[in-house]
Amino acid sequence: MNPGIDLQGTFIETLMDLGLPAGVAKAIWMPLPMGLMLIGATMGVLVTTWLERKISAAAQQRIGPDFMGPFGLLAPVADGLKLVFKEDVVPAKSDRILFTLGPIIVVIPIFLSYLIVPFGQNLVITDVGTGIFLWISLSSIAPIGLLMAGYASNNKYALLGGLRAAAQSISYEIPLALSVLAVVMMSNSLSTIDIVEQQSGYGILGWNIWRQPAGFVIFWIAALAECERMPFDLPEAEEELVAGYQTEYSGMKFGLFYLSSYVNLVLSALLFAVLYLGGWDFPIPLNLLANLVGVSDDSSWLQVVDASLGIIMTVFKAYFLVFLAILLRWTVPRVRIDQLLDLGWKFLLPVGLANLLLTAALKLTFPVAFGG
Amino acid sequence: MDFANLAAQLNAGTILPEGIVIITLLVVLVGDLIVGRSASRWLPYVAIAGLLSAIAALYLQWDNTNPVSFFGAFNSDDLSVIFRGIIALSATVTILMSIRYIEQSGTAMAEFMTILLTATLGGMFLSGASELVMIFISLETLSISSYLLTGYTKRDPRSNEAALKYLLIGAASTAVFLYGVSLLYGLSGGETQLSAIAVGLNSANAGQSLALVISLVFVIAGIAFKISAAPFHQWTPDVYEGAPTPVIAFLSVGSKAAGFALAIRLMTTAFPLLTDEWHFVFTALAVLSMILGNVVALAQTTMKRMLAYSSIAQAGFIMIGLIAGTDAGYASMVFYLLVYLFMNLGGFSCVILFSLRTGTDQISEYSGLYQKDPLLTLCLSICLLSLGGIPPLAGFFGKIYLFWAGWQAGLYGLVLLGLVTTVVSIYYYIRVVRMMVVKEPQEVSDAVRNYPEVRWDLPGMRPLQVGLVLSLVATSLAGILSNPLFTLANNSITNTSTLQPAVVSSVGTQVDVNQTQPLID
Amino acid sequence: MNLAEGVQIVSFGILAVMMIGTALGVVLLPNIVYSAFLLGGVFISIAGMYLLLNADFVAAAQVLIYIGAVNVLILFAIMLVNKREDFAPLRNAWVRPVFTGLVSVGLFALLGTMVLVTPWALSTQVSAGDSAIFLIGQHFFTDFLLPFELASILLLMAMVGAIILARREFLPDQVMSPTKQQPILTLPERPRELVSVSSDKSSNLDDGRRG
Repeated sequence: MNPGIDLQGTFIETLMDLGLPAGVAKAIWMPLPMGLMLIGATMGVLVTTWLERKISAAAQQRIGPDFMGPFGLLAPVADGLKLVFKEDVVPAKSDRILFTLGPIIVVIPIFLSYLIVPFGQNLVITDVGTGIFLWISLSSIAPIGLLMAGYASNNKYALLGGLRAAAQSISYEIPLALSVLAVVMMSNSLSTIDIVEQQSGYGILGWNIWRQPAGFVIFWIAALAECERMPFDLPEAEEELVAGYQTEYSGMKFGLFYLSSYVNLVLSALLFAVLYLGGWDFPIPLNLLANLVGVSDDSSWLQVVDASLGIIMTVFKAYFLVFLAILLRWTVPRVRIDQLLDLGWKFLLPVGLANLLLTAALKLTFPVAFGG
Repeated sequence: MDFANLAAQLNAGTILPEGIVIITLLVVLVGDLIVGRSASRWLPYVAIAGLLSAIAALYLQWDNTNPVSFFGAFNSDDLSVIFRGIIALSATVTILMSIRYIEQSGTAMAEFMTILLTATLGGMFLSGASELVMIFISLETLSISSYLLTGYTKRDPRSNEAALKYLLIGAASTAVFLYGVSLLYGLSGGETQLSAIAVGLNSANAGQSLALVISLVFVIAGIAFKISAAPFHQWTPDVYEGAPTPVIAFLSVGSKAAGFALAIRLMTTAFPLLTDEWHFVFTALAVLSMILGNVVALAQTTMKRMLAYSSIAQAGFIMIGLIAGTDAGYASMVFYLLVYLFMNLGGFSCVILFSLRTGTDQISEYSGLYQKDPLLTLCLSICLLSLGGIPPLAGFFGKIYLFWAGWQAGLYGLVLLGLVTTVVSIYYYIRVVRMMVVKEPQEVSDAVRNYPEVRWDLPGMRPLQVGLVLSLVATSLAGILSNPLFTLANNSITNTSTLQPAVVSSVGTQVDVNQTQPLID
Repeated sequence: MNLAEGVQIVSFGILAVMMIGTALGVVLLPNIVYSAFLLGGVFISIAGMYLLLNADFVAAAQVLIYIGAVNVLILFAIMLVNKREDFAPLRNAWVRPVFTGLVSVGLFALLGTMVLVTPWALSTQVSAGDSAIFLIGQHFFTDFLLPFELASILLLMAMVGAIILARREFLPDQVMSPTKQQPILTLPERPRELVSVSSDKSSNLDDGRRG
């Protein structure tokens, strides 16, 4: 399979042709995809909040935001503006430094994790060897920020919320890692690119979702719990804890929490797409189509189509999962904290282990189908 | 590659005894899980059976011609076999004495057995470990299980305190040990095998460098914590006082034996360049231990604290053999540990029995015990006298051998100090014996006056009795019939190839490299 | 010096300052919660150092284990038992920190000298980089097989032990059979509150156990 568009290589070559040394050219290139990804992720959040409103409204047979722009498309923008201009209140007797640091520590690792999200063969910020493992380890930093926020607020609800969030996060990290491990075992690599590569070639039939029927369910449950999405949003359960660790926050600091929860959701959805839904792959192998039509593999316009289709496919799959998450929010009641921990430790963990063992066994027995 | 082939390549047969212990451990754990609490009736016997078969498997390992296994991670030479035997045997006797104790303290039996077996496993692996990572992991297995056992009676604040102190001091000493080990790794150019480290240090000319000395001191600090030698003994009295008594019985023998095994292997294999230095450091430790242990033991009022200081002192005596650095020295260590196993565990069995019946371990409460419980009195007296080194009991011969080996090696001062402190130690051991055999009725303590009827048919008492009588017999007979033990100890040293070159060239410029490690891939 | 080396040196400097600063903070700050949070900073800086050494798997593992698990658990423990107690100030309390400081400075001087004077055997091997994971795996299943497997026993036992220590004891009413009628022992090791399981109390305990 040809590697597709190599934007980085082309860009650096162009700059070098202009007479810049290679190091400088690379240094100029580096911030570009990062900035692009940052903007993309933030835009993704705006879209998600709009979707959340619209789909929630549909689930409840309402219309939802309607007057702010066409279909209420400007509602998230208004939201953001409101948060930016709101007064930033720091409660009395709270710990000012930790109070500020908390949301920052929550947000940064999530944005960092976008480093490894691939949108195409070469459309990824860095193809680091540790790949998906980097995401798992980065996502384990967030509980520190939550605990910090909960502690610094000087509020019992906030503290309880922070503790709950941390407990939830470390409990569900294990099944999450186990389900990812099963996929990694099949693709013999931690790199997200390799994981997608291993699924490509057979279109929709090659996707991991067929080979990991238990794995993807575990992954999605655990990912929802990590994002504190609805059936698992105990840390901010409003009936019990007001708003959990966010209780005392307002203004842009609250905005950061808000942002982080949606960025995290989109990130999980993107990684679900990468791990189980073939990433940027079109459901029908593109080569096959091209051969059918009679276009040669390395014609440049096909590559452009391929790349843009890849981005569209990844985003489409991710938003399909976001849609599922929002639907789940309105169909499943919230679990109790003990049920949550029971589910994590007594159900998902053993099932995840069994899934891992089964995958290993299948890999040994059918090396063709399960990545020898 | 099929399984048998793999096992042969790893030489996996050498860890058969440990494998048996692991299986026993799992059987105990899962058996308790499936059968429920009623399993506690037979679980201890399963554990004992497992340990005994591990000892039997160890017997088959004797004189193994190909002791190096797992690409050099584990060395099953005779030295390790005898130490593993001591540790497994001490665990067996500990289980015998702990059944009744655990039952009466109202804690779970199976978990106690599991953790004790894990500690045994850690100690056994430590005795044979000949690679830094393996040494560290097995040391941690032993240590962490010891912390857990110390805090096992968790509703007792003293047990909690003991566990916390043990954990904190232990963690600190582990960190120090790890620092020393990491220096070894760095100085030898990235080697983890002990023999390769010696070669690496030699070729890197790191012989007299400051870093090697620091690493030596740090490593010794870690070991000294395990054997509770004097400046690193602070945890001992508190842990002995607070922890469940069977646990300290194991710590005083099994854990200590593992520490000594580690000391012999690490010092002789990895530090042949610094023989004088480590002899010096251990001499200092031995002097401090003997003086401090014996002198402070004089002032103790409770039996367990007294035994704690006595165990510090005994560690000092045993170190004489290590410092001697000769075949006889190492053999005398092994011999003394074998004897110490029986006499110390016998003593602890008696302390347990007494406290089970009266609920106290104040030394003054023992007065007049002779009239109520002659067997207990006899056993405790024999064991304490043997610990003090009164002829013709086993402890006497053990000490004589140690001192003789030390004298042969020219450690006159150390041996003289040992003799003097032995006399001191006899005083406090005899004090207890004298207390027990008083005749005057007005001197009999309250606890003894209310002494319950002696019954051996209560659940868990029979094994305690068996352990008691076993150690009594062993302690009294091992002295007179010490020849087989003697031969065993001597053979274990002379058959161990790693010790031989170090003994021959005591300066240690020659390094044993004849154990060619099978290379990977 | 090219750009990459410059970046490397600057990052090393930043990380080193961060590590030493946070580590000092952990030790010196009186507020234990701050210490715990700063400990996370120490771990992050160490992970950064690993990255600089081209050991990205170790760095990620460091973050996952030490920050995601160890530090969070430390914070948990602190926040669950953070009971403020006013201790009577010790007399001559300044002696201890001063003494500790002196010992630490001495130790630092000793180790610093040691590092400088030692002829280190530097490895000339190229760092493994991305293939490090495969190398680690190979070592786990060849020459470090035994410690690797023993570690599993260690972890199993640590888990059992942790559960024992954390479990709420539930003492059932014991049948005082005549054979057990040894005198009630006042073993110092055994202060047991024999819970008399009356009907309402048992349900209470039941709840407690579940919750």
